[in-house]
Amino acid sequence: MTGEAPAAPPPGEPPATPPTADAGSPTERATIVVTDDLERSRLTTFFRLILVIPHLIVLALFSILALVLAIINWFWALFTRNTVAHDMQARYLRYATHVFGYLNLIANPFPGFEGAPGSYPLDPQVPEPEPQNRWKTGFRLVLVVPALMLATTLGVAGSSSYSGNYSVGLITTVAFLAWFAILAIGRMPRGLRDLGVYCLNYGIQYWAYVLIVTDRYPDSDPLTKDYGPDPAPDQPIRISEDAELRRSRLTVFFRFLLFLPHLIWLLLWGIVVQFTVIANWFVTLFAGRPADPLHRFNGAYLRYVTHVYAYVSLVANEFPGFVGAPGTYPVDLHIAPRERQNRWKTGFRLILAFPAMILASAVGGLLFFVALFGWFVGLFLGRMPLGLRNLGVFALRYSAQASGYLWVLTDRYPFSGPSLEQLPLEQPPTESAPLPEPA
Amino acid sequence: MSASPAAGRRVLVAAGIAAAVALWVFAFLQLWQTSVPSDLSLPALDPTHYFSQSEIDRASSYQTFLNVDALLALVAQLVALGIYAIKGPGFVRESAAGRIGTGMLLGMLGLAFVWFSQLPFGLAELWWERKHDVSSQGYVTWLIDYFLAAGGEFLFISLALLIVMALTGLWKRWWWVAAAPALVAVTLVFAFVQPYLIPGQHDVHNPAIAADARQLAKQEGIPGTKVTVQNTHNLGGGPNAEAMGLGPTRRVVLWDSLVQRFPNPQVRVVLAHEFAHLSRDHLWKSFGFMALLALPIALAVALITRRRGGLYEPASVPLAIFVVAVLLFATLPLQTAFTNRLESEADWVALNTTRDPGAMTSLFQRLGRLSKAEPDPPGWEQFVFGDHPSIMQRIEMAKAWRERNPGR
Repeated sequence: MTGEAPAAPPPGEPPATPPTADAGSPTERATIVVTDDLERSRLTTFFRLILVIPHLIVLALFSILALVLAIINWFWALFTRNTVAHDMQARYLRYATHVFGYLNLIANPFPGFEGAPGSYPLDPQVPEPEPQNRWKTGFRLVLVVPALMLATTLGVAGSSSYSGNYSVGLITTVAFLAWFAILAIGRMPRGLRDLGVYCLNYGIQYWAYVLIVTDRYPDSDPLTKDYGPDPAPDQPIRISEDAELRRSRLTVFFRFLLFLPHLIWLLLWGIVVQFTVIANWFVTLFAGRPADPLHRFNGAYLRYVTHVYAYVSLVANEFPGFVGAPGTYPVDLHIAPRERQNRWKTGFRLILAFPAMILASAVGGLLFFVALFGWFVGLFLGRMPLGLRNLGVFALRYSAQASGYLWVLTDRYPFSGPSLEQLPLEQPPTESAPLPEPA
Repeated sequence: MSASPAAGRRVLVAAGIAAAVALWVFAFLQLWQTSVPSDLSLPALDPTHYFSQSEIDRASSYQTFLNVDALLALVAQLVALGIYAIKGPGFVRESAAGRIGTGMLLGMLGLAFVWFSQLPFGLAELWWERKHDVSSQGYVTWLIDYFLAAGGEFLFISLALLIVMALTGLWKRWWWVAAAPALVAVTLVFAFVQPYLIPGQHDVHNPAIAADARQLAKQEGIPGTKVTVQNTHNLGGGPNAEAMGLGPTRRVVLWDSLVQRFPNPQVRVVLAHEFAHLSRDHLWKSFGFMALLALPIALAVALITRRRGGLYEPASVPLAIFVVAVLLFATLPLQTAFTNRLESEADWVALNTTRDPGAMTSLFQRLGRLSKAEPDPPGWEQFVFGDHPSIMQRIEMAKAWRERNPGR
């Protein structure tokens, strides 16, 4: 990352190209190559927790060896800038990724015990050994703390708590929901798989950093990951963001207090929306499609919620308006015009939305992390790291999709994979009639 | 010889202005009236009869620091807002909101500037109070409270700017006429709900105090007025009490530090004083006074911001805040004098109700010692900061009451 943010396009204009992170070349950071075909065996899925036990035993023993090597390498790198037994550590990272991919249903085949490269649909690419910075090595345990917190939020840190608060982590939520989905349809939902890949990808980068395999800091950007050759399916609710990473330190410091007027308005408007959502549900159930005014009204509220949460979580810099008008904010929600909806899906929407709401709650943890670290980084550097910002954009988009589904704005199920953000937003869908300009 | 239409219009305008000024003065004089006898002259008492010389010296030294700190804080606030008036319009680019939303942001950021400017002086004051055992509040707690208190101010200025800037959309030149009563109306709403926003309140558990409260409220013509006790031990301050609310929400809130540590006769005086604020409609008078001040201030804001497009333009908000701060600073002595008169009246009513000048004298002796207040502060200090009568003035009033009511 250069630290220099390019000029922001006018509010409302989608970026010309999807934003990317300067994350270094693929060989500099560990990454996972995905060749998984989403097919899953119901039988092995049902017994997955039991089947994985032998691997967990081997992994535990392997972990002890990896830890000892990491301690040796810490001293060695501190004096010589180089590490020893790199192949062994790389094998450990591959094997751990295979095992956790299998455990969390991110991949289907039973993995081998060797951690051999190219042997699994989730194939970790561990960077080649290179001289490491002594300062980064010496202070590794301190430097790793933010990454540890994100890894814990994702559930790939190997611990479930960093502050005494127990957390199962995002990947466990993914696995829990995927277990039911696979047993029902015999396939892994693409979005859940991609989200799991993101978690594992961050996990391998985190562990490569912790185990002194590389001194490249883990990259939280979901846009730089490989989610397989097929693009994610498009969705009626999408998000766009500008390239602005500059943050005003003054507004960062007081961000929560500046959010308060919006909070009041969110609550007041939200009371009305509760009734309009119910009304729209009835209309959709009987007419087969939402009422246009209600669709636009609820859509405006959802867009407003996205604007406000983008602001308070430092995903965006500018103070948002109060009416949720499309095209008025750098992080904008694009909601397709109302369309015909399946009555069955409408009738049982509350039940059907339950898994999405569970996942949205877990993704909300990511947004909290983004806000927390974005606050510190924004205050000190006056800008938001691109990876953190993009992670926040993903969290906001998924939360908006989950709410949009629950509020009958669409009957398309929310797509939980961060891979959707890699899909260019060429022709942002717009609502049938624009809302009035903000006051 | 007939006058030209322009001259006639000028005469009309001048007459209108004169009538408005006369009305303003008349309203002000009405509010200025209190029930304290106009012929009441306070006896000049010697503070050393009530406080030891060392206590007076310590209080003087203590208050000198606080006064300097408060004056510097005022100057710093004006400087900060002056800088903000110049630099503030640049923050327009931090907003993607519309005209009003951007105005709200700029208003809140103005208060953020004030927050920073006041921080060192607030910390210095706390340090001084802790050093003299007047406060036991921790620095971290204070900082958190100070930060969160800004939240309330941010909300208030957002609401105020929402109203004012919405009015500028309706009446670009004459918005100020409607703004002053609208803002006072908002303040009235806040005052109405304020009793419900005070945390840690409970009923009076002491039966004697509860009985006194019932009797005093009845005596002052406001029977059934609610009295609660607020847990303030975590605030680390001294004893205090407050009258708040309007109509059905009005109540007297006693701090637990007062109820627990002061004898009942002294608590009775405090109760009677606070009831007097309610029975004499001091809150309403304060709002009336606020409305009288708000009108010319709003006019001044309208005139001064006209070069920047008036308050219709969000970029004018920083300048408007600065103008308001300067005018409030300029009228500070008037504000303190007005509040001082209301407090004097509450003392006088309390004396008439309790008929216990001895309790009042001992109450203020004790309060003076606890707060290390200067018994007889210099005139300039009372002129600028004296929104309550000084300790000696209150003791002197008790003495004057006793002289008018021999036998007590």
